[in-house]
Amino acid sequence: MPALLAKDAPAQLRKGGSARVAPKGLTEAPAKFAPGDRVVVRNLNPPGHTRAPRYIRCKTGTIDRDHGTFVFPDTHAHGKGPSPQHVYSVRFTAREVWGDDASPRDAIYIDLWDDYLESAQG
Amino acid sequence: MNGAHDLGGMDGLGPIDYEVDEPVFHAEWERRVFALTVAMGFYGAWNIDMSRHARERTPAAEYLSSSYYEIWLSGLERLLDEGGLLTRAEIDARAAALRAEEN
Amino acid sequence: MSKHRHTEPPSDLILRVKALESLLVEKGLVDAAALDVLIDTYENKVGPRNGARVVARAWTDPAYKARLLADATAAIAEFGFTGRQGEDMLVVENTSGIHNLTVCTLCSCYPWPVLGLPPVWYKAAPYRSRAVRDPRGVLREFGLELPEDVEIRVWDSTAELRYLVLPERPAGTEGFSEDELAELVTRDAMIGVAKATAPGATAGATA
Repeated sequence: MPALLAKDAPAQLRKGGSARVAPKGLTEAPAKFAPGDRVVVRNLNPPGHTRAPRYIRCKTGTIDRDHGTFVFPDTHAHGKGPSPQHVYSVRFTAREVWGDDASPRDAIYIDLWDDYLESAQG
Repeated sequence: MNGAHDLGGMDGLGPIDYEVDEPVFHAEWERRVFALTVAMGFYGAWNIDMSRHARERTPAAEYLSSSYYEIWLSGLERLLDEGGLLTRAEIDARAAALRAEEN
Repeated sequence: MSKHRHTEPPSDLILRVKALESLLVEKGLVDAAALDVLIDTYENKVGPRNGARVVARAWTDPAYKARLLADATAAIAEFGFTGRQGEDMLVVENTSGIHNLTVCTLCSCYPWPVLGLPPVWYKAAPYRSRAVRDPRGVLREFGLELPEDVEIRVWDSTAELRYLVLPERPAGTEGFSEDELAELVTRDAMIGVAKATAPGATAGATA
């Protein structure tokens, strides 16, 4: 693994390193959810790396958009592989997250992976 | 991990400190920490998720009282040390040598 | 995290960074010349003027705006603004009824190819903690008061999607060239803590 050289730096920066991946196999991992689905964030509290902030756990929201399949940080950060899965933009109302004193109108949109989510009842 | 970095919704962190016409870097050491971190990212010994987790593992009190690039430095040292590439003791020794040269 | 330094950092810190750099170069882990290219790129070559051009194009060219909203990565790439921390872009459009605000509560994720490196306040604890909790209060602190019937959408960049706010085009800019329009688009407007500058007003002091 050689060090990045000056002459290669601009091209490498312009190329970047997208986390969008397809799982091994011919098709993307099937999405568990579709836009409009009601989902609840699992009560996960891993000791390692996660991108599910505490403020959103156990909250119920609506799938706004499916971004496609991406590397899953919770495994990738620990050398356990990319575990590619769908990432969704999920909409949570301010009142769902912060309680009845919050704005009745505002919302949080947060990107969450399949493994963070379960289908919500009702 | 339920670390200090997971700040959404936390109270008591004070007003937003906005600097007009802020420069990209505030000091030379920040430039170097930025460049070293990005360069080591390209080296390939770790991935970006590992590098984020290394910063998150900065002890909570230190995380909350550190500037942004201090946290990057903390994370980079952690990754180098855990990766067997460069120990903190080696950095300590070199820093001491540089200090002795100055005096 | 809430203070950035205006005064000299401890010389220990400076020496430690020098020690770290010298060791990494000696071990062949980093190339010294590459470090300078990385710094120059983000200090001088990439910045919010990129995003301002994207916004100005979207304001003047409806077909471009449609492409931008459908596939932001590809539309932004038409300008050559690609790469690191912008590989998967999304543009969120402000309207009279919806105001978008972006944050990374967990660290500092930010769309580098169109905005450069984030300002200190964006990466610091006060903004990261309050943007999701009290966006109206945060906007008020930035001098922006929105009517109650405007819906604020706060986008927390927890994954590798990077968000750019498409601010509303200010009134009184009919007939402006793209360059003139780009002048009105501030970094803060593309994060979502401000509106684009009105023509004739003093532009926000930040880029």
